[in-house]
Amino acid sequence: MSYTVLIYFSLLVVGAIISQKGLISDKFSEKLGSIQNFFLLFLLFTMGVRIGLDKKVLSSFFQIGAKATVLAVFSIIFSIILVRLVRNIVIRDKEESHES
Amino acid sequence: MSLSIILAVVLGIGAGYFILPDWVFSYTGTIADIGLCLLLFFVGMDIGKQKGIFKDLKKMGFKILLVPIMIIIGSILGSIVGGFLLKMPTNESGAVGAGLGWYTLSSVMLTSYSTELSAIAFLTNVIREIIALIIVPIIAKHIGYLECIAPCGATAMDTALPVISKSTDSKTTIVSFISGVILSLVVPILVSIMIKI
Repeated sequence: MSYTVLIYFSLLVVGAIISQKGLISDKFSEKLGSIQNFFLLFLLFTMGVRIGLDKKVLSSFFQIGAKATVLAVFSIIFSIILVRLVRNIVIRDKEESHES
Repeated sequence: MSLSIILAVVLGIGAGYFILPDWVFSYTGTIADIGLCLLLFFVGMDIGKQKGIFKDLKKMGFKILLVPIMIIIGSILGSIVGGFLLKMPTNESGAVGAGLGWYTLSSVMLTSYSTELSAIAFLTNVIREIIALIIVPIIAKHIGYLECIAPCGATAMDTALPVISKSTDSKTTIVSFISGVILSLVVPILVSIMIKI
């Protein structure tokens, strides 16, 4: 496991522990969503800047779109098939598992 | 939120293309890394707030872990197969699949590796979410409730949850939420591992 992964995981765990132990105020807790949104939008803007500065990526945008669709469709199909394979193990009750 | 996301990316592309000089590019990787670390810290805090989640997990048994595990394997395997058809390197297609629908995080994580791959990861996972939101009610009707969680990936805990809740039952909704949390936790790890393979 690389150094970066450990940093990411540690940050998630430390954040979760701080929050679960009640070390953050209710006021701050309420603002968590907005803070996350801010960083998320900032990161997306930065990502957009990188794309905008990379003329090669911009010129191949439609080619990228076609690739992205193929990857998305295959990911969806394979994950549905694999979840289907374990459904009877996860949910034993026929009523819960729901069959059409 | 979806509109804000699209707007932030479009504004960034516009700023990069029309306004900012080329030397800015070399600094954007570091800026993205620092921003990502801060974001993950706050995401951790948000997960820690959901106190009932570990109770729910215990009550339903560890067998429900099979759902996120199968989604992880299916997503990565599927994108590798798709990538094979597109003649993409296995590590790159696998890393895109490892985004598990979390388009913002996976694309930001891959941005310092390759801008093109970052754009592919962003679009792949955006398309995955759009398809998921459309097909969840169809899967619920024709295939089964549990399978509805699969296309949503990490978004099963937030964006896609209302659709799953409306199309299935309360038990599936809880499994969906827990699955989404687990998938969100492993995305940073999986993307980092896959890209280094």
